[in-house]
Amino acid sequence: MIKYIVRRLIQAIPVLIGITVIVFVLMHLQAGNPTDRFAQNPRVTVEQIEAFKHRWGLDDPLWLQYFKWLGVWGDKGILNFLPGGTLNIFGLALNLPGGDNGMLHGDLGFSITDGRTVTTVISERVLPTAILAGTAYVIWITIAFLAGIYAAVKRYGFFDSALTVFNYIFFSMPTFWLGLLLITFFTQGDPLKWFPVGGMWDTRTVPEFASGSYWAFAGSHPIDALLDLSRHLALPVLTLVLVSVAGDSRFIRSSMLDSLNQDYVKTARAKGVSERRVVLHHALRNALLPVVTNVALEIPIIFGGAIATETVFSWPGMGRLFIEAVGHADYPVLMGILLITSLLVVLANLLADILYAVVDPRVKYD
Amino acid sequence: MDPRIEDVELPPPGGPTADYEVALVSLNQWQLAWRRFKKHKLALFGAALFLAMIVIAIVGPLFLPYDPSFVPSFDSPFCEGSQTVKAFSGCPPLTPGHPLGTTGRLRLDLLVLVVNGARVSLIVGIGAALISTIIGTIVGAVAGFFGGLVDNLLMRVVDVILSIPLLFVVIWLSKVVGNGDWRVILLVFSFLGWAGLARLVRSLFLSLRTEVFVDAARAVGVSDTRIIFRHILPNAMSPIIVSTTLAVAGFIITEAFVSFVGYGVDPAVTPTWGNILTGGQEFVGQGNWWWTFFPGVAIVITVLGINFMGDGLRDALDPRSRE
Repeated sequence: MIKYIVRRLIQAIPVLIGITVIVFVLMHLQAGNPTDRFAQNPRVTVEQIEAFKHRWGLDDPLWLQYFKWLGVWGDKGILNFLPGGTLNIFGLALNLPGGDNGMLHGDLGFSITDGRTVTTVISERVLPTAILAGTAYVIWITIAFLAGIYAAVKRYGFFDSALTVFNYIFFSMPTFWLGLLLITFFTQGDPLKWFPVGGMWDTRTVPEFASGSYWAFAGSHPIDALLDLSRHLALPVLTLVLVSVAGDSRFIRSSMLDSLNQDYVKTARAKGVSERRVVLHHALRNALLPVVTNVALEIPIIFGGAIATETVFSWPGMGRLFIEAVGHADYPVLMGILLITSLLVVLANLLADILYAVVDPRVKYD
Repeated sequence: MDPRIEDVELPPPGGPTADYEVALVSLNQWQLAWRRFKKHKLALFGAALFLAMIVIAIVGPLFLPYDPSFVPSFDSPFCEGSQTVKAFSGCPPLTPGHPLGTTGRLRLDLLVLVVNGARVSLIVGIGAALISTIIGTIVGAVAGFFGGLVDNLLMRVVDVILSIPLLFVVIWLSKVVGNGDWRVILLVFSFLGWAGLARLVRSLFLSLRTEVFVDAARAVGVSDTRIIFRHILPNAMSPIIVSTTLAVAGFIITEAFVSFVGYGVDPAVTPTWGNILTGGQEFVGQGNWWWTFFPGVAIVITVLGINFMGDGLRDALDPRSRE
């Protein structure tokens, strides 16, 4: 198993390099340029624009920009890809030959928009996205499971038909439009206004999320902080849950139906096993096999779905950061986000395969 | 029961022994599929919705009094509020002359916008689905048929594309190379959206190429190209058609979102269901609900129709897949 995981991780490396190359080349085909924002400014001279380009390495040839970004070329020349910095062994300071900039050293460069490191800019947004997507994920998987299994067991019953109608409608609905509908509805009357339609915290009463004073506030008023967060979470989470339950419960239902039609289920019934045990032990276990893979593969899709939700509800997460960075042509941030999300996809694929082996003892990897 | 003999008139039980003619109608697989599809009421309804949208997109703008950039007059007696309020938030639905109301700020007629928007939204959806299907089918067929190094190389490319979160790249590329032009955006969607289908077609070809009819074709000297496209491909058509149908829905939603965030089709040039919504976003909390409501309803009706149709096609083309 460990051998298999290691092999899969090694196989992932060319895929990841392929991703960075493709994205990096495509990115530079663009018409937009970080210096565009100076074009209309009469006080910025051509020399200053050239200096800006030089400072950010925008005048280097494309392959060099890519190598610098990757970290295989830099201050230390070709040796830059080796680990750099100083290593302390028992008080002995050892200078390593490599550099410390570039992706291979965990350095994704600087945001062109505000000059901070890409890792800082992105890490600020990880927590809000994780809170939103994580909460939604747990809720929608739970609901989808319960609804899908119940609908399959009571096939063609009232609940099953209602779920089918629900699924068709919400499966056909663009996530961002559902968000807009909810905003329209929840800004109508007074009791509805209790759920804020944008942002992550109440700017009048709560300090900026994840800032030092926020944690101090959360420490002294834990209930207020939690209440404020959950009020802001309500609508975006509802949006994600409605849309995702529609897709998943349908999948779980059909997987459960397949499994309820199997001969071993009939055998179990014929032996007089209670219906509850037949459903929960005999059928469910096997219905889980395709579902588990699907659920694991959805982890990175959360971020895609969260783009729409975060945009509509002004949620300060990764999706919104991406939209903002596209607007500013902030390549390093775009590259960073794409790299991290692609890594998530590759890892989720691996996780799906491993989980498959865990739930299905017939599957063996070596 | 074999569908071919459903329509055959059987002799009455215990009836005369006189000769009767067996009217055996021979139907090919498409006629059979059509017969199954016709029985699927929901699928027919879905197909009708989708076709209705296409007809509206083609002939609708001809019946409307003005084009989408025309700003109608202020003075509708049913549009409440002062001139400034009207100018800001637009007229509600059912205002005479504006059955779906007008947008805020520019006061464009929503019915005109939605009907005109159908054109580009549908063209991008259908066009991107067709082009990406063609690319995906060719890549998948070549990889699956030849196998070996070609297969390995092409599938690594597919791996890379499938590992990139496509929505991110689509948004980015639409902004960067699209520049608001729907034709470029259609191509961006097509060139990013084929990888999943390529993998599907490859797996179909992997199993079909070992069939006896392929050996037979080879034995009589049929060329590789002809084997791929005339002998194997027709047998792999069913899943491809279903996947194309559902892809239309996916691309319509993607276009709507990309245009909504402002990196898709330029609203000043061509309205689409997505970019009509862009301006409406800041008005949703201020009473003008119709601006965002109606373009979205158009999307939902179309996508719903396509999904109904897709499910019906799946059942009709591949009877084994039925629950």
